[in-house]
Amino acid sequence: MGALTAFFKSLFLKELFQGLAVTGRHLFVRKITVQFPEEKTPQSNRFRGLHALRRYPNGEERCIACKLCEAVCPAMAITIESAEREDATRRTTRYDIDLIKCIYCGFCEEACPVDAIVMTRIFEYHGEKPGDLYYTKQMLLAVGDKNEVQIAKDRAQDAPYR
Amino acid sequence: MLDIEIDGKALQVVEGSTIIDAAHQLGTYIPHFCYHKKLSIAANCRMCLVQVEKAPKPMPACATPVTNGMKVQTHSEQAVKAQKGVMEFLLINHPLDCPICDQGGECLLQDLAVGYGASASRYQEEKRVVMNKNLGPLVATDMTRCINCTRCVRFTQEIAGLMELGQAYRGEHAEIMSFIGQTVDSELSGNIIDLCPVGALTSKPFRFSARTWELARRKSVSPHDGLGSPLIVQTKHDKVMRVLPLENEEINECWLSDKDRFSYEALNSPERLTRPMLKHGGQWIEVEWQQALDYVAHAFKDIAKNHGAAALGALLSPHATLEELHLGQKLMRGLGSGNVDFRLRQSDFSQDGQGTPWLGMKIAEIGSLDRVLVVGSFLRKDHPLIAQRLRQAVKRGAQVSLVHSADDDQLLKAHAKAIVLPSQLPQLLAQVVKCAAELKGVSVDAAITALAVSEKAKAIAESLLSGTRAAIFLGNFAQQHEQAATLQALAQLLAKITGANFGFLGEAANSVGGYVANALPGADGLNAGQMLAEPRHGYLILNAEVELDSARPLQALAALKQAATVVLLSPFKLPGALDYADVLLPVSPFSETSGSFINTEGRVQSFNAVVRPLGETRPAWKVLRVLGNLLNLPGFDQDSSEQVRAEVLGAATPTPEFVTDRLANPLSDVANNVANNVAIKLDAGPNGLERVADVAIYSADVLVRRAPSLQKTRDAASPAARMNAVTLQQCGVSAGQELRVRQGEGQAQLFAVLDAGLPDGAVRIAAAHPKVAGLAAMHGAITVEAL
Ligand code: SF4
Ligand code: SF4
Ligand code: SF4
Ligand code: FES
Repeated sequence: MGALTAFFKSLFLKELFQGLAVTGRHLFVRKITVQFPEEKTPQSNRFRGLHALRRYPNGEERCIACKLCEAVCPAMAITIESAEREDATRRTTRYDIDLIKCIYCGFCEEACPVDAIVMTRIFEYHGEKPGDLYYTKQMLLAVGDKNEVQIAKDRAQDAPYR
Repeated sequence: MLDIEIDGKALQVVEGSTIIDAAHQLGTYIPHFCYHKKLSIAANCRMCLVQVEKAPKPMPACATPVTNGMKVQTHSEQAVKAQKGVMEFLLINHPLDCPICDQGGECLLQDLAVGYGASASRYQEEKRVVMNKNLGPLVATDMTRCINCTRCVRFTQEIAGLMELGQAYRGEHAEIMSFIGQTVDSELSGNIIDLCPVGALTSKPFRFSARTWELARRKSVSPHDGLGSPLIVQTKHDKVMRVLPLENEEINECWLSDKDRFSYEALNSPERLTRPMLKHGGQWIEVEWQQALDYVAHAFKDIAKNHGAAALGALLSPHATLEELHLGQKLMRGLGSGNVDFRLRQSDFSQDGQGTPWLGMKIAEIGSLDRVLVVGSFLRKDHPLIAQRLRQAVKRGAQVSLVHSADDDQLLKAHAKAIVLPSQLPQLLAQVVKCAAELKGVSVDAAITALAVSEKAKAIAESLLSGTRAAIFLGNFAQQHEQAATLQALAQLLAKITGANFGFLGEAANSVGGYVANALPGADGLNAGQMLAEPRHGYLILNAEVELDSARPLQALAALKQAATVVLLSPFKLPGALDYADVLLPVSPFSETSGSFINTEGRVQSFNAVVRPLGETRPAWKVLRVLGNLLNLPGFDQDSSEQVRAEVLGAATPTPEFVTDRLANPLSDVANNVANNVAIKLDAGPNGLERVADVAIYSADVLVRRAPSLQKTRDAASPAARMNAVTLQQCGVSAGQELRVRQGEGQAQLFAVLDAGLPDGAVRIAAAHPKVAGLAAMHGAITVEAL
């Protein structure tokens, strides 16, 4: 580019007006800002939010303590201890997820052979003191119990693609 | 030697090898399930099919012997196609339950399915389901997972010696089962867990508790019998989860006895002592280490000052490490007392100072012996894997003869057996000596020549003389015998006459180590028997439950109860000790300390701690060292167990693998004339009944007594008074009846049980059990009356 062209470009502030033109255009297009929490964006049925442990319709917990989720978790957020229950089935005696370690990759759900550990659409949760976001088996089962209808619906919707 | 070619690589193999052997020689892996190097060939899984040049069909590598010029393709298209086909068939009936299967992650079928399995099943029909079986408290079963490789069946039959499992029905209906209503109870049963390539047989105590990938693997050494099996201890979060064999062809091959495999449960027992405790006004209180150790140092100093150092005694355990035994004896000697011993179950100490009893040969050589005499040994239960080696030797044509007081089924075909009362054992052995001497034309003592000889003694002597590689072993029962020295002298004499090797089957992990560490009474010291017979003022006990582990439980208990100070170093809160001890110091079991064991063949095996000490438990060598410091004794400034070991074994690095140069069964010193060396008492024992005491396999030491699963096995049944039909009749009782058994001052209430394998007049009552701790001694006269 010649030195002359550059001189005139800077003299007439061409780049400045180009930039301002973008700003100007946006003054008139439709606004997309979501007024959270009054407003919410739509969620995918594959949304990876808070974990839940599911149960079968008869109330039996699904998890069979295979420990695949624990093994696959890249953040080592899951801690499982297992033992034989009185009825001779294999069950966890401890199932903890440290949500502070979790990176919400969804591998645990992917690894689970019985769809026991799932990730729900819930993302509005918080902890106030250290340890609040350390979810134990009972807490995870409670999340599952509360949201089972939605969880089941989401899995059913996604089933054809799996 | 044959020249063959595998996958284009030429090699030479010995005649008679199979293709799979040859492939292993090259390091080529051929997938297989039923093949196992220690078991016979079954060739029923067909996973090992390979392509052999000029053969029309693929051949099973495990069962096809190589021929000269053979060309084998292990990964050719035909071979892989055949292998994939086999895998598809295997998976037809195999359940898809890996997520709940304990074998998951360490399963041969899983691994090979990754390589040879299809990603989807073409099979639409019903899968086979097999009723589950109950194989007892150690082995968990899920028989639907079985792929019928029959490894377990072949193991029980060929290695354990008793066909406890079998395959019933045919074809698709074939099932592995035990005999109706029976559990698998052999002392080696745990090995079928390792052998089963799938999750059909898994460990019951370990069931569902962890995954293989979570476990850290550490090497260790078994603290139980004299074999000292090398172990792989698997741990998770500083807790021992499982124990597996570490293969060593010279020691345990690839096996492990159930005792070694399942005793780890005791390490996590609620009975563990985790803080030092002092008895204060009859109450146990937990204290700090400092306070406890100060108390001990003070008490020992006081006793030494007021009553002389000889008023102190140390009773150490043969299951303690070399380092602990060394520091234990050093502490006592430092205090000025020679009263140290670790041979708690021994009664006859008259051969003391004459050498260091050991096996006299390598364990690995046992299999190549062709003539063996085992004197006084509950072989199978006392030395499960040595018995296994003898079993293999018998299969190869060796003659094994037994001289004993109980005819337990040793699961090996004995050439000749002489079962007599304990008091007659020396006489019987002398008879064998006489025959052997006559056959060899050697002269022996008149006391021996005067004996009348039984047919059995003759058969044994003839057998011993007819071979080329003979050995005579004294078992635990012979070592604990009241006339152990006589038995030893006679056996040695016999060995000398017949040219056989002479040796002892070491009772405990460190039976040899105790001698090497000199945890023995000095010239002026008292041995274990004397220390309890002539009560001391203060006792230091390491890792032993003296009232169960000693030859004379009643006497032991009385001695400990009267003592002013009893200091117990133990990993457990021993119930007896809560009564008689004054200080309990929590010391590490083998899993939490470093140390060494010297096994019965004189092999030094050092190991490190596999987990951190529980609570405030500390390694015993450290406790003894600090105690030495507190007592101002010289030579207690070691910083590591290696330094302690160097004190015993010399500082040379690496530490010698064997200490056989320090061991000597004093064969050369036994003069032909035994009577001059050891007074042979050839008269029969007390009239009436005699006690035969075995130490049941699962009550042999502090650890196994606290392993819950082992305690549920048949071998851990509570002791009974076993007699043969004649003896029962003589006593006027019948089997099943409750009896009062009296021995010495003491008595016990036991049920009578018929045991045809006992000589007339023998009452067999297991020792080392709380139920019989009231009986006076492991041998001698006993009376029986119906209740
Ligand atoms: S979402 Fe990912 S990081 Fe979080 S627990 Fe599951 S596997 Fe672990
Ligand atoms: S949640 Fe699923 S993957 Fe995790 S242990 Fe339970 S069954 Fe296995
Ligand atoms: S139980 Fe296991 S070892 Fe026995 S035959 Fe079946 S698969 Fe083989
Ligand atoms: S390993 Fe050869 S047939 Fe099973």
